[in-house]
Amino acid sequence: MKLAGRIPVEPLDEERLTNIERRVVTGAVDAAVRGHELRGPQRQLGRAVAAIAIAAAGVVGWALHGAPPAEPVAAEPPALRAQTSAQRSVIDIGDATIESTPDTAFAVTRPDGGVLVAMARGKVELEVGKRGARPPLIVRAGDTDVVVVGTRFSVDYGDGSGEVDVRVTEGAVRVVHQQRETRVAAGQAWRTRAGLVATAGGDAPTATATATVPGAPAVALAGAGEPRGVPTAPAAVPAVLRDHKAAVPGAADAPAAIASPPSRVVAAPARPAGGQPVRQRAAVRDDPHVDLRGAIRAQPVEPALDLHEPSAAGAITRYYDIAAHQSGDEASQAFYSIAAVRHFKLGRNAEALQTLDAYVRRFPGGKEYRAALWLRVRILCLDKLDDRCRAAAYTYLHQAPDSPAAHVAELLTQTE
Amino acid sequence: MGRAPSGDVTAVLYVEDVLLVDRCLTGEPAATRELFRRHRGRVHACLFRVLGGNRDMDDLLQEAFLQVFQSLRSWRAEASLATWIDRVAVRCAYRHLSQRARRIATDPLDDDTAGALASPEPGPGARRQLARDGVVRLYAVLGELSPAARLAFTLHELDGRSLAEAAELLGSTVTATKLRVWRARKRIEAAAAADPVLREFLEPSAGGTVIPFADREAP
Repeated sequence: MKLAGRIPVEPLDEERLTNIERRVVTGAVDAAVRGHELRGPQRQLGRAVAAIAIAAAGVVGWALHGAPPAEPVAAEPPALRAQTSAQRSVIDIGDATIESTPDTAFAVTRPDGGVLVAMARGKVELEVGKRGARPPLIVRAGDTDVVVVGTRFSVDYGDGSGEVDVRVTEGAVRVVHQQRETRVAAGQAWRTRAGLVATAGGDAPTATATATVPGAPAVALAGAGEPRGVPTAPAAVPAVLRDHKAAVPGAADAPAAIASPPSRVVAAPARPAGGQPVRQRAAVRDDPHVDLRGAIRAQPVEPALDLHEPSAAGAITRYYDIAAHQSGDEASQAFYSIAAVRHFKLGRNAEALQTLDAYVRRFPGGKEYRAALWLRVRILCLDKLDDRCRAAAYTYLHQAPDSPAAHVAELLTQTE
Repeated sequence: MGRAPSGDVTAVLYVEDVLLVDRCLTGEPAATRELFRRHRGRVHACLFRVLGGNRDMDDLLQEAFLQVFQSLRSWRAEASLATWIDRVAVRCAYRHLSQRARRIATDPLDDDTAGALASPEPGPGARRQLARDGVVRLYAVLGELSPAARLAFTLHELDGRSLAEAAELLGSTVTATKLRVWRARKRIEAAAAADPVLREFLEPSAGGTVIPFADREAP
């Protein structure tokens, strides 16, 4: 009984194939988009478990110390939730201190080792310690994510249906809104509609003033010229945020005050209502002593595997062969080498980046993992100091915080 | 489960597959289209031989590729992408066969050579009709088998895959697959003993007789 090859395949006609292809492509793109979203609910389960653990640990901790929490914080499974009533609330979650205004509702969970503060409404102000190599802390207000490394800032989500107002007083955060990322540094604010704007708060350490009058906004950001601890009452959104041009004296002469890449950081002399001048904040790029591109080039790069091939194309073919047939370190090195040769010898940076992205996905623990991340930084940041560059540098910094190039990566994350 | 077979071209294709999958995972429609077009012919051929026709092919092919794209993140490049996609398609076929209550019928074959079988002098038309009738009767017997046995037999005997490859696609052991193929073969031989058309079709003398599809691509 020899039947192989005796049943020919009747092909589908073009129209049927086109219809199938159209439905498959539509479904596949949906699946890719959903894939990103679906990981949310999957993480929610983890978050819920983590939150229960946090809540249980908190209860045990409080019981051991024999003292109730300083503020009425409702910690209930499945997540650590805080819903404050008429008074402000202060929660220390270890990684950060969260202060919230009255009638603020948020949940704290720990997905994948990071911290997620998901807001329903109200306003929180956070003081976050340096997170080092740990995953970042994220404050989520609707469809806006504020990604924090270590800083001090506030997020105002109003009644939960309106705008998000992010103000940074120390350090810097990344605001991710509708898949666009904006870096907000100290002295800057970001709002859903206005985007990045300058605030009167300089980079001096600011104090958080607490209003004791019930019902009044409890958390305010004090300007540099204001004495610490003095309550302020920014009940309404400051004019500086309502009209960012008017907020910056001489804005007509200095349009760069509204920071938008690739313009420089907000450096216009702003004055708060009290008339006291605030310090200007200079970005890393304003420092003439810092030649970032030179610093990038000065960093050693892991070389490609030397196969003594005279041509780059020939070398790549052999790397392909090794990557396909070997495993472990050899495949990792060959895969990395494809990217290195494409970048250094062929100048095909787009292809090199594609290969590096694939490498990072395929070899998360690979020997050349850090080298691949750094090569991404090098390619992207030598091309343009933009958000992609900063994101790559950020990733590298957190994957290789002890590497010689980490300080360069850190500087890159602080560029404007 | 092997990596890509040897050969520079295959190696390049393997790495290109890796890059293509990454592009698909970002939801890039062009990459999705490219992957579909790269693999649709082989998957369709495999499913055609399993089902014996194109009757439910649109739904099945679509379902198989949607499954592929939904699970693409889980492909870790340990098997070749083609093998992995075939495995997904075979799983879809298995579900399809399991859910079908009625016997699988092949597409109706045109009857342009009707009567040729009865011709006193069998010519090309008669052989073609014999082959077509033989295929119909073969799939009628296959329809009586369990989905696993049918898949094992069609993948190995009709699609020409090795037992090891068929076992891998079925997620089974080589021994179990071999047993299923053997049982299926016995069942078909028993049917052929009572059916001269099927017996004629299975005879080695009939080897090489294929059913031509005018203006259509070769398998």
